[in-house]
Amino acid sequence: MKTDALIAALAADTAPVAPGAAARRLGLAAGAGAALALILILAWLKPRSDLVAALATPAFWMKASYTLALSLAGGLLTARLARPGGRTGPGRWVLAGAVAVVAVLGAISLALAAPDQRAAAWLGHSWTLCPWRILVAAAPVFVALVLALRRLAPTRLALAGAAAGLLAGAIGATVYGLACNETSATFLAFWYTLGIAGCAAIGAVLGRWLLRW
Amino acid sequence: MTDEARLKALMLRGLAGDAAAQSALLSAMSGYLRGYFGRRLGAGAADVEDLVQDTLLAIHLKRAAYDPTQPFTPWAYAVARYKLIDHFRRQGVRRAVPLEDAGDLFATENPEEGAVRRDVERLLATLPERQRKLVVDVRLEGHSMEEAAQRAGMTVTAVKVSVHRALKALTRLAVPDGRRADED
Repeated sequence: MKTDALIAALAADTAPVAPGAAARRLGLAAGAGAALALILILAWLKPRSDLVAALATPAFWMKASYTLALSLAGGLLTARLARPGGRTGPGRWVLAGAVAVVAVLGAISLALAAPDQRAAAWLGHSWTLCPWRILVAAAPVFVALVLALRRLAPTRLALAGAAAGLLAGAIGATVYGLACNETSATFLAFWYTLGIAGCAAIGAVLGRWLLRW
Repeated sequence: MTDEARLKALMLRGLAGDAAAQSALLSAMSGYLRGYFGRRLGAGAADVEDLVQDTLLAIHLKRAAYDPTQPFTPWAYAVARYKLIDHFRRQGVRRAVPLEDAGDLFATENPEEGAVRRDVERLLATLPERQRKLVVDVRLEGHSMEEAAQRAGMTVTAVKVSVHRALKALTRLAVPDGRRADED
């Protein structure tokens, strides 16, 4: 096909694009993925039995604040990196800030624990399960985000994949927080972070393949 | 009007559904892209036109991934660079594509300029080190005689004389006798 003919054909198909279309696609994908993750976790693990009482405890909100802050960071990063030439922008500072605050809280809480309680504060009763469950809860969110990103135009594929993985992992962890009854800041700082970081790492690897256009 | 202002205005009208603006944008971009890919792959290479078309298609189909609050030319450059990297990847070539700014895509560089630059460098290489530095300072980099004198630790008069002699020597080398400009 001659280039001029191609240009004419493309120009003839110039539909208006609504402002904010990219953000809306990503937002819809994250929302749909979160709904799927919620259904998955509630059907599979059931909400923690003391959920209503837990809503009044700081431990519950510490976990929720952390995973929501990481969702915000992941959302900012994904929105930036979904565009050609996108830089990481402020999302990485939200990410670094949230991880740093919770790491400090976790370290303080470990230092204050009685020596014979330290292992329990760190490992809780579900450390062998927590990161894996976050990974499972993140999966539907990640799939939805990849579908949305493929219609956009990331140019740094591994980084965009990592950002989508971070967002998916953070949303998955937020949902998993409804089923998980660990209360220690040390547990949160270590195992939640590990699960979400695992999602970002997998996202980086898959992004190089799945996000090509 | 700058490339950025002109192209961005077309892009925004295209996003609003203006087919004529979209056509003008894609036509303008095809020229820049042909130049850019030509410089990267060698002008006239068989793949250049394929890459131009592929990139035009992406610019059109990925319009939603353009943020109207941002400049257009870096966006278009990022798309073109991505397509070039993708092209090398498909060919199984591992080749680094330097991350330059959008000016690389929108440069209207005359291919002859490179050849001229090489000729100048070859001629300058024939001069003694000290003279060459003075000529580069004064004639190519636009320093004043005074600055050049200070940098070389010479008097201004000595610099003037030295540069004059150097240029004369270069003229003798570069211009065949019959066509030499009148010497003073």
